[in-house]
Parts: sequence; C-alpha cells; structure tokens
Amino acid sequence: MTTSAVDGKPISKDERHYHPQATSCLNEKMVYGAQNKAAYVRDTSLQPYESKDETFEVKLPEGVRTADVTVELSYEVQSPENRVPIHKVTRRVTLDR
Amino acid sequence: MKPRPWILLLLTAVPMLASAKAKSIDELAALFDSSRCKQCHAEIFAQWEKSHHARPLMGVSDGLMLTPLVKASAFQLKSPKDATLKTFPCFKCHLPQAVDHAEDSVAVELATALFTASDKDKPDADKAAAKSKVAKLQITCIVCHNEKAITHKLVLGSPEKDVIYGSSGDKAHGDPPDKVFTKVKKSAIMGQSIFCGQCHGTGPNFEFDYPIQCATLYGSYQHNYLAKGGFQSCQECHMKKVGGKADHLFTPNWNDKVGTSKFLAENISLDVQTLGYQWLRKAGSLTPMVVVNTKIENRAGHRIPDG
Repeated sequence: MTTSAVDGKPISKDERHYHPQATSCLNEKMVYGAQNKAAYVRDTSLQPYESKDETFEVKLPEGVRTADVTVELSYEVQSPENRVPIHKVTRRVTLDR
Repeated sequence: MKPRPWILLLLTAVPMLASAKAKSIDELAALFDSSRCKQCHAEIFAQWEKSHHARPLMGVSDGLMLTPLVKASAFQLKSPKDATLKTFPCFKCHLPQAVDHAEDSVAVELATALFTASDKDKPDADKAAAKSKVAKLQITCIVCHNEKAITHKLVLGSPEKDVIYGSSGDKAHGDPPDKVFTKVKKSAIMGQSIFCGQCHGTGPNFEFDYPIQCATLYGSYQHNYLAKGGFQSCQECHMKKVGGKADHLFTPNWNDKVGTSKFLAENISLDVQTLGYQWLRKAGSLTPMVVVNTKIENRAGHRIPDG
C-alpha cells in the first residue's frame, strides 16, 4: 500500500505478506523448498471463507491535505521479482470536504 | 501330480515380465508414454501439454526444481552415482510412476542430468541436453487414468494393465478398441477430491527419513474449506468443463501470467475503503491522516498460497 502527494512525492509505503511459514524443526529459521520444510510454525495465508482485514494509518506531512493511495494485491512466485498481479486500486483521499 | 516343467517355466516367467522396471529415463518415459492418446483426445492432450502435469520436475518458469534437493539438502549427493530412488522422495507426487516402476539407475541418470545442467563449466549444449532429459519425465495420461485411478485396492484390486479408468466406464476403449488399453472402466474416485489429494498433500511426509513437506492443499481443503461448509470438489474449480469435457489444463498455469492473474482475480476479492480526517489525541493536537481499510476474501476451496 503506497501513498503519495498529488505531485507524486512519496509519503509512505507499507506491506503485508500472506503465506504459510515453515521451518525444518531443527532450528528457528524459516525455509523454502519441500526438501527443507518439515512443519508450519505460522500461517498468515488467505483462508477459505475468511476475510483478511487490514488498517493502514498514514500521517500526512505538513501542508499536505490530499494524497493518492494505491493498494496492490499480487502473488509472488518464487521471488518478489516474479509477481502475478491480482488487483490494483487507486484512490485520491482528501481532508477537504 | 507334479506340474510339467514347461508349465513351471511359464508361471515363473509371467511375474518377471509383469514386474520389469525401467532402468533408464528413456525406458520410464516409454513405459508411461501417452502420446498415442492424442490421436483421439487431441483437445484434452493439448490442454495437458500446457499444464504443470506435463512438466512436474521443471518447476515454475521451467527451472530444475530438484537441483537444490541433490546439491543442498538433507538428501544431497557427493556424486550423482550415489543416487537411489530414496534420494528423490519428491517422486511420491511429482513422478509417482517411478516409485514402483523404476530402478535406482533411473535416479542415478536423473541426478547426473541435474548436476550437468547446473554445472557452469559444462558447455551449453550439454546443459540443454541434460535439461531435455529431465523434461521427458511427465505425469502422463496413464499415470492418472491407470496407475493412480484406484485408492481402495483392498476392495477394488489394483489397476488392471489393459484398462483406462475414467469418470464413466464398462465399455470398449475406442472403435476399433485400442490395442493396449482395450477397455474403459469407471474409477470410483476420479471425480472426487480424494483423487487429487493423493498428491496434493495433507502435511509432512513422515514415511521418509527426512519429513519433507510440500503441498498441503488437500489438508487445507478438508480441515478448513469443508469445515466451513464448502462442498465443491477440486475438479469443479480446477477442471471446469470446456466443450463438455473436463479442462486438463488444471488451472492455473503459472507460466501464463495473464491467465493466472485472471483466475486469481476471479477467486480473490479486494475491497478498499479510505478516509481522510484529522485525528484528535488531546486538545490542540490535531493530526492529519489518511486511513485505508482493506478486506481480502478468498473464494477458493483451500488456503492461498499452497500447492
């Protein structure tokens, strides 16, 4: 989730990661690869029939009353560089009424 | 009465032929070669060719996923010559036909190919040839429609060698009948999630000397989706009918980013709500802020991600 001023200047960036997390059970380090994983220790995956609700609060810099918010949901395959886009939503949010 | 010697010879010969195992990758590929199916099932065969079942050892983006196994895991090898079938617990799901129909020599040949393909000092032609060799190993039509078609062997027996199992059955296979698989019989489980669950996992595989854990989709399906009231089978979502027949692409094809993106977007929703206001902690201390609430809903029959 990123926010930026209307002139494009970045204000904030935040991420959430959703996936099962496994270790070898021989130490505390998370690992990838079936040959290394023995058991899940944490599971933040998207679960069936459940919603994943998040709140992001962004303090606006001095003098900024309007910001552009972009929320992107994507699937990372093997590495963060290999992304499959799922949804992208952009909103302009203002303090002015 | 003593049996005649020639009868004895015949009785001992048949089991040997029946239990002949592949000694090489080419022999294993030939044993389960399903290219003949294309003659009558061209559309389904074309779908399968694009699926991950046609490249189970290639990983996403056609990488050799077994290289880390043989080079940097508990199963690693000092030399490919040391490989045995036990080196590759992944065969259980990624190449199930190898478990009962391959000799250790197939494991040696595979390990050799993996070492060659990942050796930066080898010529590109050798590396490409090694990769092509690994790519010959596929989950073919015969694997699902014969080898894995029966789970209840104690009451239904093992799959018969001349039978293709499908969602309907008790008929000749083709007109005139196919020369190898002459009959079609109904598989009790082919349309049910348990069929896919044979490979798409419930948790750690404790039967190996190192408890590997790969896919846990079937476990998530059973213990989460069904528990919350879901009723659809794997096949209903991942093999939707195309032209009246089950789609053998087994969506998603991760090498098709556009198609996969569309599939994920259909099954995962994102709702975004935003608010701009000034928060008041105490008198005189207004803080201007933007609040973003997101709600993601998963309409799949299992956790995402999983495999």
